[in-house]
Amino acid sequence: MLTDAHLKYESQKLAMNYFRVALVLFGAQLVMGLIVAIQFVYPGFLFEIFDFSVARMVHINALVVWMLFAMIGSVYYMIPDETGEEAVGIKLGKLAFWVLTAAITVVVLVFIFVQVGSGSEASIWFINEGREYLEAPRWADIGIVAVILVFYYNVFATYIKGKRTGIMTVMVANLFALAGLYLCGMFFTDNISMDQYWWWWVIHLWVEATWEVFVGTLAAYALIKIIGAKREIVEMWLWIEVLMLFGSGILGLGHHYFWIGTPEYWWEIGALFSALEPVPLVAMFVHVLYDWGKEQGHAEAKGDAKVINNTPAMAWIVANAFGNFLGAGIWGFFHTLPQVNIYTHGTQFTAAHGHLSFFGAYATILIAMMYLAVQGAYGIKRMTMTFKTKMSLFLTIFGVLGMAVALTIAGYEQVLVERADLGGGWDAFFTAQNLPWYIQAQGWRLVMGIVTFAGFVYLAWDLLTIGAVESAQEESEGAAAAATA
Amino acid sequence: MSNKSASVWTSIRFWRRSAAWVTGTATVLLIWLTFDTMGQISMGSDADLAKGIKKRIPAATVINYHIDYKMDDKRGHEVPVIGEKEKFFGKEWSAKDAAALLHLGKLTSQAKNCMDCHTLLGNGGYYAPDLTKAWLDTKWNDGTMTGITGKNTKEEAMAEFLMHPSQYPTHARMMPDLGITKNEAVALVAFLKHMSSIDTNGFPRNFSQSAKRLEGGTHAH
Amino acid sequence: MWETCADISCNNLFAWLNQGPLTLTLFLHTVVVIPMFFIYFQEKKRLQEEN
Repeated sequence: MLTDAHLKYESQKLAMNYFRVALVLFGAQLVMGLIVAIQFVYPGFLFEIFDFSVARMVHINALVVWMLFAMIGSVYYMIPDETGEEAVGIKLGKLAFWVLTAAITVVVLVFIFVQVGSGSEASIWFINEGREYLEAPRWADIGIVAVILVFYYNVFATYIKGKRTGIMTVMVANLFALAGLYLCGMFFTDNISMDQYWWWWVIHLWVEATWEVFVGTLAAYALIKIIGAKREIVEMWLWIEVLMLFGSGILGLGHHYFWIGTPEYWWEIGALFSALEPVPLVAMFVHVLYDWGKEQGHAEAKGDAKVINNTPAMAWIVANAFGNFLGAGIWGFFHTLPQVNIYTHGTQFTAAHGHLSFFGAYATILIAMMYLAVQGAYGIKRMTMTFKTKMSLFLTIFGVLGMAVALTIAGYEQVLVERADLGGGWDAFFTAQNLPWYIQAQGWRLVMGIVTFAGFVYLAWDLLTIGAVESAQEESEGAAAAATA
Repeated sequence: MSNKSASVWTSIRFWRRSAAWVTGTATVLLIWLTFDTMGQISMGSDADLAKGIKKRIPAATVINYHIDYKMDDKRGHEVPVIGEKEKFFGKEWSAKDAAALLHLGKLTSQAKNCMDCHTLLGNGGYYAPDLTKAWLDTKWNDGTMTGITGKNTKEEAMAEFLMHPSQYPTHARMMPDLGITKNEAVALVAFLKHMSSIDTNGFPRNFSQSAKRLEGGTHAH
Repeated sequence: MWETCADISCNNLFAWLNQGPLTLTLFLHTVVVIPMFFIYFQEKKRLQEEN
């Protein structure tokens, strides 16, 4: 992470900057997560100083932003590899990076120190917009759009100028939708149903459609890089994934329109289309493992022992394949049918799904991209896992799984006691929140949150050191080999 | 011309065309559905309310009416029932004033970031009760909160609570003081009352009905 | 089998297609999937002609 000496392209050097900021924001996200987890168990913690709403706002926004940074970084990193060209507007791209980083810093500082405003348009414009995940004030929205336009220009113009691979074709089309959707979240209305209708266009069509296709694109690129998978096969899989992800995900949006004031016909549209959303995730899982097995077989037939040239990245890709299916697929399917969702909607079930899917579907593959970038930056031919890599893999996966299981238990209890038995409402809510089952589950969530954080510490430490250690190793091995020869 | 070697299943072109078709059709269908839904979820008018025309999202002047949430046998779930006129903060609000009040309430709900602790229409943070039907919550109707805040009507009790929430704690987990002014509090109550009149297809189910019956919880360990 | 629309507004195409369990969603799925058969046979013909 600390150098970009071996990168030939400015675009890839810029990617390193994006990854560095992403890692910092990832850490910030987890610190905020710990604060809210503590507040669930000890409600007096930082009360009226740094309230739950503030900590959670920073928690989920740091999440979205670190992922966007890492996504932009991943694209800048793959552009030269895929197109064979330097990003065409790299100077503008670099400027945009600093503008975006500065804007995000200001937004976060305002979130932390100003927290809330008065009930006026000025608060929406300059403090926070108060819409979960899209809290960034309007001025920052406009800034983000401007920066994204610069980014998109770089991707699109380089694609037009260079080689047009299938991977880049999907990337260019998908990014267009991804960026355009952000505009749906940039208006104010007094009608809360209308508000949430368009709010879901951004949230759902990001995380259950365009981001998923983005993951498919990254996985395709990474498999070619890491195990030398055959491009024709990878690209065919990619189109199948696009077909299934968009085929189920776009109308699967209906599962958010069950209870927000929208017509009843959304029940079945949302139910069946979203019930199919796990299918492409199974396909992605099969695809990754199949290609890995196949390439390993080819390599062994040729007498090579190892097909993987970057085991940390590959481990995270496999974690992604499995985590995406488990977190987004299984945990999502749990509560996607309206018959179930009427009781689970707005409970810790959603939080369990959110934690496991954001980690499983997105954090994992973006971490894999960071390892790929470190390999390139230090010019390492064959990167292997260190003790720290293994610790970070184990602790973060174990921690997040543990949190998801704890929150699922909390959610289950909430569904049965608060919703099914007591019918919702103030008393029902607190009755469920104060039952020992719920409190124990929140306690375990805190413990598992700490485990996850320990995993992050190893991860950051590993990303910062693995490059220097392994490039030095390869050099000394190379020198030793030269000396014996 | 042989039939043997032509496998469409491994043809990138086939999958690319199919992907384009499916994505395009799904998008067109979604846009079509959106147009239809927009028509159904746009806010009704004051005249609709006066004539008793049902709208999914009634006009802001719904704050001048009594609102209930009752089982509808035809639809198979509870629906909001808009009843007789009732005073809201001691008066009837004109269409213009009610709209302005709802506007201030919605703005305040965003500026104070209600959604990152509470859920609205079931969406938000899961740290505090869902506010979808908060106006109809037994807690405000059975004398508990009017008693604690020393107010005569539930709207006044709600406004008082919103201005000084941590002075009226009901549990160890409290709502923080967010510096909500009197005007903002009145507007927020209007926003909540309006939200309770939205037809949410029966969410939350069996709302607040049996809370009294099982007071104290299940004591399960 | 057939259920009459009980929603607030039944005066639209989607409510009309929603005539019982899953009728609307199965219709939409069919609309999305059927033309893929056409694409399949077109591609098959093209591939056979190339050989």
